[in-house]
Amino acid sequence: MDVFLSSAIEFGVIFLFGCVGEIITEKSGHLNLGIPGIMCMGAAGGVFGAKLCMMGTDNPNGVLTVLVAILFAMLFAAALGGVYGFLTVSLRVNQNVTGLVCTIFGAGFTSFFLNNVVNIADLEVSSKLSYASLNFFNAHIPGTEILGWFGTIFLQHGILIYLAIVIAIVTSVILKRTKAGLNLRAIGENPATADAVGIRVTRYKYIAIVTGAAIAGLGGLCYALGYTTGNDSTVEVTVQGIGWLSIALVIFTMWRPTLSIAGSLVFGALYILFSYITVASEFKPLLRLIPFVVTIIVLIATSIIGHRETQPPASLGLSYFREDR
Amino acid sequence: MERVKEPLIHITRRDSMPVWKSLLIRFGAILIALLISAAFIAAMAPDSQGFFGFFSSLFSGTFGGKGGRRFWLTLQNTALLLCVALALVVAFRMKFWNLGGNGQVLMGCLACAMCMYYLGGKIPNPALWVIMLVASVAAGAVWAVIPAVFKAIFNTNESLFTLMMNYIAMYLVAFFISFWYPEGTGAMPPLSDVALPALGNGQAGRSLLPVLIAVVVTVLIFCYLRFSKHGYEISIVGESKNTARYAGINVRKVIIRTLVLSGAICGIVGFLLTGSINHMVSTTMDGNMGFTGIMVAWMGKFNPLIMAVVAFLINFLSRGMAQVCTDFGFTSEALSDIVIGLIYFFFIGCEFFIVYKVHIGRRKKQTSGLSDEASADTVQIETAGESDNAGMPVEERDGHFPQSSGTEASSGILGAEAVSGSGEEPSGKQQVREEN
Repeated sequence: MDVFLSSAIEFGVIFLFGCVGEIITEKSGHLNLGIPGIMCMGAAGGVFGAKLCMMGTDNPNGVLTVLVAILFAMLFAAALGGVYGFLTVSLRVNQNVTGLVCTIFGAGFTSFFLNNVVNIADLEVSSKLSYASLNFFNAHIPGTEILGWFGTIFLQHGILIYLAIVIAIVTSVILKRTKAGLNLRAIGENPATADAVGIRVTRYKYIAIVTGAAIAGLGGLCYALGYTTGNDSTVEVTVQGIGWLSIALVIFTMWRPTLSIAGSLVFGALYILFSYITVASEFKPLLRLIPFVVTIIVLIATSIIGHRETQPPASLGLSYFREDR
Repeated sequence: MERVKEPLIHITRRDSMPVWKSLLIRFGAILIALLISAAFIAAMAPDSQGFFGFFSSLFSGTFGGKGGRRFWLTLQNTALLLCVALALVVAFRMKFWNLGGNGQVLMGCLACAMCMYYLGGKIPNPALWVIMLVASVAAGAVWAVIPAVFKAIFNTNESLFTLMMNYIAMYLVAFFISFWYPEGTGAMPPLSDVALPALGNGQAGRSLLPVLIAVVVTVLIFCYLRFSKHGYEISIVGESKNTARYAGINVRKVIIRTLVLSGAICGIVGFLLTGSINHMVSTTMDGNMGFTGIMVAWMGKFNPLIMAVVAFLINFLSRGMAQVCTDFGFTSEALSDIVIGLIYFFFIGCEFFIVYKVHIGRRKKQTSGLSDEASADTVQIETAGESDNAGMPVEERDGHFPQSSGTEASSGILGAEAVSGSGEEPSGKQQVREEN
C-alpha cells in the first residue's frame, strides 16, 4: 500500500504539471489542445539536456544535470508553446486545429529526436541516462527510511515531485491574490473589456501560453527521467495519453491549481492501478482503460451538475481581434 | 509636446480576395515549408542525396516504383483518409468537435474482426461480408453516438469525451487480441480465408474497392450537405443553437442523427481496413487518421471536393516523406510527421494573410473599411488638438472639434456664443476658427 501510494504520487505529478500548465493557458482564454505534444517536447528536451551533461565525463554533477535537463525541457516546450501562441494570438487561427497540429508535430518531433538525434537506443547513452534518472532525478533525502510509511509516501521522492507541488501552489496564489492574476482572469473572461481597461491583452496571452507550455513540458521530463529511465523509445505514445488526461483534469478541478494536486494524485493512482492488481494477463488492457472511463464519468457528472463555479473562462476558445467590435 | 503613439503594425479585415490570389498564398506557404524541410534534411541526413534529391525522392514516393503500385497505394490511403475526413466534416459543420475519429475507425475494425473470428467458416462468405459491413457500421456509429447523446442532453464537453473514447477503443482492441491469442506476441494473424477478395490483379485490384467507396461517399456527402434538408439543419445548428430552436429544429435530434452518420462512415473505413486491406486488427490500425482527417476537413474549408484534393496532397507528402526517410538513411519515419506538421503550421498560419490585411509603418491615407476610418479620424484630431492647442482654455479647444462630434462640441459653441452675443451663431463659430 505504501509503495502504491508512493508511486501514485510519482505518476500523478506528471498529470499535475500538464494540468497546471493548461490551467494557466486556459485562464487567458486559450484552449491548448497541443499540451500532449508540448509535454512530449519537454520529454525530448529533458533527455537531451541530461545527455549533454552526462556524456563525455566520468563524474557528472548531479545538480547541474537536473538543472540543465529542467532548463532544456522548459525551453523545448516553450518553443512549441510559442508557436501555438503566435498562431492563435497573432494570427488568430482556430485554437482546436492549432492545438492538434502542435500535438502531431510535438509527438513526431519527440519520436524522431529521441531515436535519431539523442539516440537513446545506444547502449552508452541509455546506461548514462538511467544512471542520471536513478541517482539524480530520483535522489531523495537520506535518512527518511526510519520514518516508516510516512517517509515512504511523502519524503522519498525526487526533486521534480516537490517542484510540481510548489509550482501548483505558487500558480494558485498568483492567479487568486495578485494583480497580474486578476488581469489574466479578466482577459479570459472578456478580452475586449480587459483591453478597454488598459490591460495589455496580447502580452498577457503570450506570457500565459508560453509559461503554461514550459510548466507542462516539465511533465514530459518527469515521465521520461523521473518515472521511466529515459530509455522508453515510444515515450510519445504514453505522454500523449497523459496529456489528454491532463486536459480533462483541468475540467474536474474547476480551473483551480490547488485542487489539481488532489486530482492528479487520484489520476496517478488510477493510471498505475493495472500493475498492482493481479489478473490474468489478457485482462490487463481492460484495467488500463480505467482512467479513461473514470474521466468520461466525471465529465458527464460535471456537466450534469453544471454549477456556475465549474464553468470555464467565458471567452475560452475564441480569438480576440480588437477591431471586430 | 506629446504625440499619440501609433502602432507600427496595423491589421484590418479584408473584404474579399480573388481566388487565384488566395490559392497562390496557400501554395506559397506549402512551398516555403517544403523548401525549409528540404534544406534541413539535405544538410542533416546521414546519407544525403542533396537538396534536389529530396524533391525527386518526394515525388517517387507516389509516382515512382514499378507498375503504379505506389500510386495505387497513395490513392487507397487517400480514399480512406478522405472518408474519415468526410465523417468528421458533417460533425464539424455543426460545431461538434468530433476528435474521436481514431476510436470510431478502430471500433469498426474490431467489430469486423470479431465477425471474422467468430463467424468465419461457419456461414457462407458473402453472407459474412454483409454481416461484417453491418457490424462495422454499427460499431462506429455507437462509438460516435455515445458522446453525442450526452452532448445533446447535458452539453458534456464533446472534444474530451471523444478523445477518451479513442483510448478506450485502443485498449479494447488490445484486450481482444490478447483474449483471442493468449499465447501470441500481441499481434493478430491475418484471417485471409474469410476476407473480401480483391477486385482485380495487383495493387490496383486491392485498392479499387476503397477508392470506389470513397468516390461514392464523397458525392453523397456533398449532396447531403449541399442539397438536403438535413444538411441545412446541420448548418443552422452550427451557426446558432438558439436560432435553430426558434426555427423549430429539434437540436438534440439533429446532433444525435448527425453523429450516427459520422460514426457510420468511420465504421465503413474500419470495415475496409480490416475486411479488405489488412484482414486483421491492431491497436494502431487507425493510422491516426482521426487527427489527420481533422486537418483535411479544416484545410479543405469543410468542402468535400476541396477535401479530396487536400487528402491526396497529405498522402502524397506522407508517402513521399517515407521514401525520403528510406533514401536519406533515417531509421525512424517520424521525420514525416515533423515535415507534415511544419506544412500544417504554415498552411493554417497563411490563412491570416488571406483574411486580414497588414499595414506596416505609420498610415497616411485611409483606404479601408468604415469603422477603421472613424477610429483613425479621432486619432488625427487628438494629435492635432494636443500639439496645436497645448496651452488653450478648455472651451476653445473644444470648439476646434468638427460639428459632428456632438455634445462636447456644442458646449464649445455655446461658450463662443457667450462672447459674441446671441443670434450670431455661425459667425461666432467662425471667430473661434479664425483665432486658431
